[in-house]
Amino acid sequence: MVQYRSPCRGSRVRRPDPPHGTAGVRDGAGLGTVLLLAGLGLFAGAVLAEPAPVAPDPSLRNLRRGATILAGSVMADSAMEHFQGSYHNPAMYVGPMAAAGTMLATLRGGDRNRASAARTMQGAATMIGLMGLGFHGYNILKRPGGLSWNNLFYAAPVGAPGALALAGVLGLGERRMAGSRGPERREDGRILGGVVGASLLVTTAEIALLHFRGAFHNPAMFVPVTIPPAAGAALCLAGLRRPEAARRHRLARALLHLTALLGPVGTAFHAFGVSREMGGWANWRQSLLSGPPMPAPASLTGLALPGLAALREIEGGMDE
Amino acid sequence: MSDFRTPYPGYDVLAKWASPSWNDQTRQVVRERLLNIPRPRFFNEAEWSVLTALCDRIIPQPERAEPVPIAPFIDAALFEGRGTGTRFAEMPPDGAAWRQGLAALDAEAALRFGGRFAGLTAERQDAIIAAAVAGDVTAPAWEGLPPRRFMRGLVLLEIVAIYYAHPAAQSEIGFGGSTSPRGYVRLDAGRFDPWEAGPGIWPDREP
Amino acid sequence: MTGAVGTVSRDAEEHPRAVEGRAPDVFSRDGFVPMRQWPEEEPVDFAIVGTGCGGGIAAAKLAQAGFSVVAFDAGPFWRPLADFASDEREQDKLYWLDERISGGNDPISLGSHNSGRCVGGTTVHFQMVALRFRPEWFAARSRLGYGVDWPVDWRVMWKYYAEVERACSISGPVRYPWGPPRGRYPYRAHPVNAAGLVLARGAEALGVPWSPMPVATVSAPRGKSPPCAYRGMCKIGCSTNAKQSILITYIPRALAAGAEIRDLAMVARVETGRDGRVCGLHYHRGGQWRYQRARNVIVAGYAIETPRLLLNSASPQHPQGLANSSGTVGRHLMVHSNHAVWGEFDEEIRFYKGPPLLAVCEHWNYADGDPSRDFDGGYAIMSQGPLPIDYASCLVSNTGVFGTELRRRMALYNRMAGLKIVGETLPQPENRVTLAEETDGFGIPKAHVSFSYCENDKRLFRHSLRFMDRMLRAAGGRNLYESEATAHLMGGCRMGHGPDDSVTDSDGRTWDVPNLFVCDGSLMPTGGGVNSSMTIMANSARIADRLVALGKRGEL
Repeated sequence: MVQYRSPCRGSRVRRPDPPHGTAGVRDGAGLGTVLLLAGLGLFAGAVLAEPAPVAPDPSLRNLRRGATILAGSVMADSAMEHFQGSYHNPAMYVGPMAAAGTMLATLRGGDRNRASAARTMQGAATMIGLMGLGFHGYNILKRPGGLSWNNLFYAAPVGAPGALALAGVLGLGERRMAGSRGPERREDGRILGGVVGASLLVTTAEIALLHFRGAFHNPAMFVPVTIPPAAGAALCLAGLRRPEAARRHRLARALLHLTALLGPVGTAFHAFGVSREMGGWANWRQSLLSGPPMPAPASLTGLALPGLAALREIEGGMDE
Repeated sequence: MSDFRTPYPGYDVLAKWASPSWNDQTRQVVRERLLNIPRPRFFNEAEWSVLTALCDRIIPQPERAEPVPIAPFIDAALFEGRGTGTRFAEMPPDGAAWRQGLAALDAEAALRFGGRFAGLTAERQDAIIAAAVAGDVTAPAWEGLPPRRFMRGLVLLEIVAIYYAHPAAQSEIGFGGSTSPRGYVRLDAGRFDPWEAGPGIWPDREP
Repeated sequence: MTGAVGTVSRDAEEHPRAVEGRAPDVFSRDGFVPMRQWPEEEPVDFAIVGTGCGGGIAAAKLAQAGFSVVAFDAGPFWRPLADFASDEREQDKLYWLDERISGGNDPISLGSHNSGRCVGGTTVHFQMVALRFRPEWFAARSRLGYGVDWPVDWRVMWKYYAEVERACSISGPVRYPWGPPRGRYPYRAHPVNAAGLVLARGAEALGVPWSPMPVATVSAPRGKSPPCAYRGMCKIGCSTNAKQSILITYIPRALAAGAEIRDLAMVARVETGRDGRVCGLHYHRGGQWRYQRARNVIVAGYAIETPRLLLNSASPQHPQGLANSSGTVGRHLMVHSNHAVWGEFDEEIRFYKGPPLLAVCEHWNYADGDPSRDFDGGYAIMSQGPLPIDYASCLVSNTGVFGTELRRRMALYNRMAGLKIVGETLPQPENRVTLAEETDGFGIPKAHVSFSYCENDKRLFRHSLRFMDRMLRAAGGRNLYESEATAHLMGGCRMGHGPDDSVTDSDGRTWDVPNLFVCDGSLMPTGGGVNSSMTIMANSARIADRLVALGKRGEL
């Protein structure tokens, strides 16, 4: 065996054991991460914190909790979704920020001095949510394929900004109900019941779309497309009854309680789904985005609690 | 021709070595490739000198103090009898084709410029390579070895297969590199995952 | 015989893994599953040569029907999670790298282009395109006036497409724009990556339909398979098991049903008895030659190894090679032309992300009446996503570029997008596999493959190049260049209506030898203008059912 002179021999191009660390976070992605983490923190706070008690009124308490949780879910979910979209359009910051704003406004609703600022924030969130629907619709239509299944699956989620608008509306609704009494209050309850009931049906449509995208590969994926719409329909029916006929709606109440329970249960299922992605939680930077959305199921709790509030008012303020 | 400039200065696929983009088996493969440069065992000294000169012209790396090694891996593949699955009927078996082709390049150098291939200027080496790639050679040493097939179907393929397997080459083109278990999330044009190369620098485009 | 190619898990390339009553658990990093073993001296019901689209499915379905089955594969038995690296050169170990001699006017590249060698076969490295034939292609001669008719009705095939699509959990679009209605794909289509959207923009600009591609990698969890992580390395072996290859679908089912898989077992010769029937096969495993007795033999080695084995099994009763009294074995070999157009884009496409082929346009498979159509057959246009070495190989072999210019053009990798065809070539008797004079490391004559395009093939790919050129420009591509290549293999032992011009009947049973069957892509009488794997799988599933039915009637 001969030894040859080689210009290449012995060249060590690079040590193959670089220090630990990954490629730097950059551009909008960095801010997105910050928002994401802040959002998750706020969301946790919202769930844990007892809202400032205006009055020991179970309806208002449920309404406020629901509006807060819904806003928190929207905030975290849109922060993650828009992070996945690299915040390529600055307008994408608006959604999560509006959700955070309305969540705080609802949380701190008892502070009299800031009531009008809070109302403005909640109104703005409603408007931004409605505009978001337009943005998302445009995003879907401008892609090749237009209004196609694949764009509905993977382009901007068509109904998601509606949840932001709803969080604003529920916050405003809580303010209104705090000031209403008697028959007026019951009428508010009926309207609230209608809004929440319809929202549950729309939300179900969105869940059905996304779980269809996931091919309903786990039978549990059928649960959130059966119980919430049943609860929504029952709530709408309850609201349609004559106001004089105050009575208990046991089925609607049970379904709403179950729907509220789907928030934490669904979150657990989604956490399991994330663990089934390649690399699981150790690969969280990918799995959290490509797996099932962790913050999404909480929105069912956020809708069910105002639904219970509405039902209570429809029933004539009867305590359980 | 001006020197090569990467659109992705500062990007290095190896920076992700300890991240979820790399798993143990990929680390094992790349560590082996970077640390164990094979000793030449197949080619003789004359062939080796033509081969290294040829590799330097197919993939010139003037900007690198330690160029990505190519010739040692060609030698190793031939020594180990690692096949490609194809031998074109008009060609000798791979090892014989390489030996004859390298000798023919040397013969072509003698015929055209009166020197050894390895000793020629870069321009003259390029002229010979271009002629072989185009099938436009005259030295009798090519007899039985179609130059175009030899260059395009064997030499260039093997050289790019070795060069672009190297992390330095993958970094210079902004390739994502290893992807297991972590793959990609953002699939749209102009959208990048944080663990990819950032946007490239493109002189032909507005920033 | 090539030695171990890889750096990782070299033992799998050097020593059989499926031994001592257990086989590798493909969903684990180092585990095993129990495996039934059958003695060599006792004839098994079926000895199957090959474990890919043909042999893998036959092994599973026949074992499930209660037959004793031993399936042989020349390659290793991989565990993808532990054995596959994210490295193109390492993963060359998936291909058939033994030398084959390629001639003719347009010699084809083998190896990584079309030939796998491992348990699971070519599906371990295929790019997962899961398309169905156009129904008329099964009667190409009588309905469309070219090629030959299949001895199978399209409606039967349609049923088996559905079966194998379910078995492989194909992720496909809710509505597929071409052909008769098909049931819903088991999983939803994947998001279309930037490279696929280039095809979509081009198609919409030219007014032809396009679709997300149905592919054999899951878009949601399935059993032990995680959803696809869009790592883009499908062609070099999926290291996550999202890809629904034969290795992780039918092979585990075959093992569970009692089939034995023998890896690193190269079958050299099928033995014939005095009565002219086959009685067993000679194979090399663990450093020695061995012999397995069998009541029936199924050859499923794909379009080169199947004819090679039959030709090398000549005996006094079959002097021209087994099943070759008509001289048809090895003939009518087909490929798909893989011509492509590439262009630079302003935006960074980064086609290394996601499965490589996520969008398809089958317009020219169906547009019979178009006045520009000057060819028989059809072609599908697909988006592309080659890894760096694959792309560099295409660039240098087609343009001959080298030097700084090569590095500069490779640096445009992230801004490239391309369209390519899967173009039908017509069956021609002179495109064929024969035995070469030279022998391989086992002493078996090497395969000699001869291929030449006919005029129709050339008209077809020229038409496609013109069309793709317009499409890519319409999508915003600049500095276009063309490339040529081939992919897939079909034919070589075609099935047909009679013993004069085909090797087997519609059951894959050879006309000459009643207990010798073929069950793989070499049966295909025509190639169609779509990737062949689903058609091979559907046909294999159909043949397996036929064998079970024949067995019940005592006609085996």
